[in-house]
Amino acid sequence: MIARIVIAVAVSGATIALAVLWRRREGRFDEGSGRFTPADLGVVKIDRPSAVLVEFYGEDCAPCVTVEKRIGKIAAEVPGVQVVSIDAGARMDVADRHEVRRVPTLFVLDPDLHVIWRASGVPSEDAIRTALLGPDWAGRPSPNGAPRQRVAR
Amino acid sequence: MSEKGMVDKNGMRGGAGLSAVLLLVGFVFQWRAMVPAIGAALAIGSLFGLRYSPLGATYRFVKKAFRLSIPVEPEEEPPPRFAQTLGFVVCGIASLLFIPGWNAAGWTLALLVAGLQGLLATTGLCIGCEIYLYAQRFKAHEVQA
Repeated sequence: MIARIVIAVAVSGATIALAVLWRRREGRFDEGSGRFTPADLGVVKIDRPSAVLVEFYGEDCAPCVTVEKRIGKIAAEVPGVQVVSIDAGARMDVADRHEVRRVPTLFVLDPDLHVIWRASGVPSEDAIRTALLGPDWAGRPSPNGAPRQRVAR
Repeated sequence: MSEKGMVDKNGMRGGAGLSAVLLLVGFVFQWRAMVPAIGAALAIGSLFGLRYSPLGATYRFVKKAFRLSIPVEPEEEPPPRFAQTLGFVVCGIASLLFIPGWNAAGWTLALLVAGLQGLLATTGLCIGCEIYLYAQRFKAHEVQA
């Protein structure tokens, strides 16, 4: 009986440990690399925005709806931000090239479409806002004229 | 997003938490009948839809009885339904393993289900749903290739 209780507690502990790990990683922005092309984004020519938010979404993906709402809200309050949504299932080539392993995956691009940040899962509104306003974009004006600050990891 | 049936993700998480606890209690007291019982509950959700799942119904009952103000978080049904199918299959195999007396193997599978259900309850991470989405992407990849 005691051995079974120990096993049950161990299973619960492992579950909690995994849950904590998952919560730490979920929606966290990490530095990205690579570059999107206007063709990747499904446009021939792109206006020169302050930043581009690219969201890879998928059919049947409920968290994608949450991310769409958040980026829609933030794009409305930060001038010059262009939002592009890409169906990962329909654009497998682009998803593969940018190593999109799950949806939603969010990219923050600079005006030259270089990847600055990427996050998988559902980032908080604050995390998206900070990723847009915070990174050191070598001499480029910060969107919204906000003072520069490093993104908290 | 497609116009398919929606389910409450919090209901799914509540039901997952309940099934995890029941499986762990079943393991501690060696109530082998708990495994096919949970398997049957998952099978009902899988075959008829999550709104008919006894686990989800228990969550709704508790929510109503204690007037809990947990918001409804809509989610499309196919991925969690697929996840319930996986849970049912694993519980089914575990139940079959009990018949010849392979208890350790049976409980290992049951505890695996308990762990994954616990993960869903505590984080919202549904491994079965992720497998479903990967499979959908793989299928789309094959079609494009």
